[in-house]
Amino acid sequence: MGDIKRKFARGVLIYGVSIGLSLALVLAVLALLGYDVGRAFTTLFFTSFRSAFGFRETIKKAIPLMFTTYAFTIPFMIKFFNIGGWGQMLFGGTAVTVVSLLLAPVGLPAIVLVPMLLVVGMAAGALPAGVAGWLKARHDINPIISTIMLNFVAFYTVNLAATADRFKDPTAGHPITIPLPAAATLGTWWGIPQSILGAVAAVVFVHLLLERTRLGYEIRAVGYNENAARTYGINFEKTILFTFLLSGALAGLGGTFEVMNIHGKLIEGFAKTSGAQYGILGILTSLVVAGNPLSVPVAAFFMSVLLVGADSLQRVMQVPVEMVFVSQAVIVMSVVVLRTRLSGKGR
Amino acid sequence: MAFVNVLLTQIVTYTTVYTLASLGVVIAGRTGVFNVAGEGIMLASASAGFLAAFFSGNWLVGFAVGALMGALLGAILIFLHETFLVSQFILGISLVIFGSGISDLLYKLVMGVRLQAPIAPATPDVTIPLLGRIPIVGAFLNHDLIVYLMYVLVGASWWFFYRTKRGLETRAIGENPVAADVVGVPVVRRRYIATIVGSACIGIAGAYLPIVIIETYAPDIAAGRGFMAIGIAIFASWKPQRAFIGGMLFAAIEVISFQLQIVSDQIPFQFFLMLPFVAVLAVMVLFKSRIEFPAAVGKPYSRE
Repeated sequence: MGDIKRKFARGVLIYGVSIGLSLALVLAVLALLGYDVGRAFTTLFFTSFRSAFGFRETIKKAIPLMFTTYAFTIPFMIKFFNIGGWGQMLFGGTAVTVVSLLLAPVGLPAIVLVPMLLVVGMAAGALPAGVAGWLKARHDINPIISTIMLNFVAFYTVNLAATADRFKDPTAGHPITIPLPAAATLGTWWGIPQSILGAVAAVVFVHLLLERTRLGYEIRAVGYNENAARTYGINFEKTILFTFLLSGALAGLGGTFEVMNIHGKLIEGFAKTSGAQYGILGILTSLVVAGNPLSVPVAAFFMSVLLVGADSLQRVMQVPVEMVFVSQAVIVMSVVVLRTRLSGKGR
Repeated sequence: MAFVNVLLTQIVTYTTVYTLASLGVVIAGRTGVFNVAGEGIMLASASAGFLAAFFSGNWLVGFAVGALMGALLGAILIFLHETFLVSQFILGISLVIFGSGISDLLYKLVMGVRLQAPIAPATPDVTIPLLGRIPIVGAFLNHDLIVYLMYVLVGASWWFFYRTKRGLETRAIGENPVAADVVGVPVVRRRYIATIVGSACIGIAGAYLPIVIIETYAPDIAAGRGFMAIGIAIFASWKPQRAFIGGMLFAAIEVISFQLQIVSDQIPFQFFLMLPFVAVLAVMVLFKSRIEFPAAVGKPYSRE
């Protein structure tokens, strides 16, 4: 019991100091630039809760953010960095767009089409992540490099699909495809995207997988002590490949939902919010919770609160959104430093 | 022939960016610091360097500020790593995000919105007499001073690491910091110096993009080159002279794929734009057996 209390106190200290530090920094800069500091503060933290619109926007951002946060968190459990959550999201979104537009003349009903597209999106996200996992397991190439390089490949793949004669919207000035057939899209409940069901299912799935299955046990064992895990016969290469495939599938699903539920078509730059890539924001969110998969949904929600606040800050007070972006990086560095310091070990 | 010369001149221009950035990664890596913050440093230095050059009207001031910005971010990285033993990779990734945020923020706050894109002051070219007129060779010798600085830095770091006692000591830190410490090499001080100097090199590479190459600032101007620099450093087995060869290889891939994109109408141009990024991975797989790492790169060192 004392241990839990101490852990809690430590958590309060770490997050309190970090958020306080970065908030003080942001507010000091805003004050120097002549903004109304009090108003900036309330806008940043309470926009999400002051209107139904603000709350819906928060959920809309939290769903894809949760998926990219998982995408970073799961390989991070075995100390590998998947920087490619963004690219995996793009691949997922591109694949469902291409498949549903190609199948549009067939006219499949939603009950068949939607599950099929979800599988396609997950597979398309798992593909580049699997390549990165394979490059690590087979050729010892650092996933930081491979996943980033594949992000650029993903970016141009979106551009390729969104400008292809067959798919492009000829009236748009930006690379955008024609809309997906109605059967391939998802709706909303009181403004909340239906993909929230998929997000909840993903949380339950990841939780059960990591806590209740042999594979989850192996991942945690490798993360805890790679050499010991190897000695006890855990196939390290297989664990690497699996974590990357899983994280890619989750990021791919995030991209799939963005296309099927939010935009209804493929738009270049769709996997961004508040001027930042969901992939980068997922990395930040994951680092804040130290790659603990159980905290991911909560962390993604709070990060979205800040993002909605940042959007509003830009709209209402003309404060550049990058301000919040920079402060989030400061929070992360501060949390990481404090955590390493207080736990007395480097990660 | 003239076409080859023009192409080669352009390749040398881009080589400057890739080589300086990967040289920065190499220098820090030799002391065991794996600096993955390159993309963030390049972006922050591009913004700060461009603004300084624009408002001072002097390209040299721009590069000085770019180098300083790089050194500052490098100092943050090494300070947090050495003091708190936080993972270099986590710090590096955080700094990438910090740098990409700060670059646009700084530009928006200082420059604001302008109808016409602000243009960087011209960086004068310096031609080497006689040699500069020889075809092919001349393509390396008709450039601004930063290109020559790149040649000097590559040569100087090779000379330092492989021809001086201090360089040997410094390399020992990257291979085995405990042994280096035992024989009296100031491990922590050298790591500070190497990371800060290396990050300044990356900063110059970042400032080169808006000041010389596109002559104005644009968001996300580094476009992944800071990350590719890490790939080049690995491909180069963390050797300065090979960082130049690697830098030239990727500059050639970038310039040639850009040319092919214009010429070819059969293959969608996006494939050519993907090429440099796929090439990084291909090169790393192909040369896998020849790549050597400093044994302790990326690992924290503490006397305790």
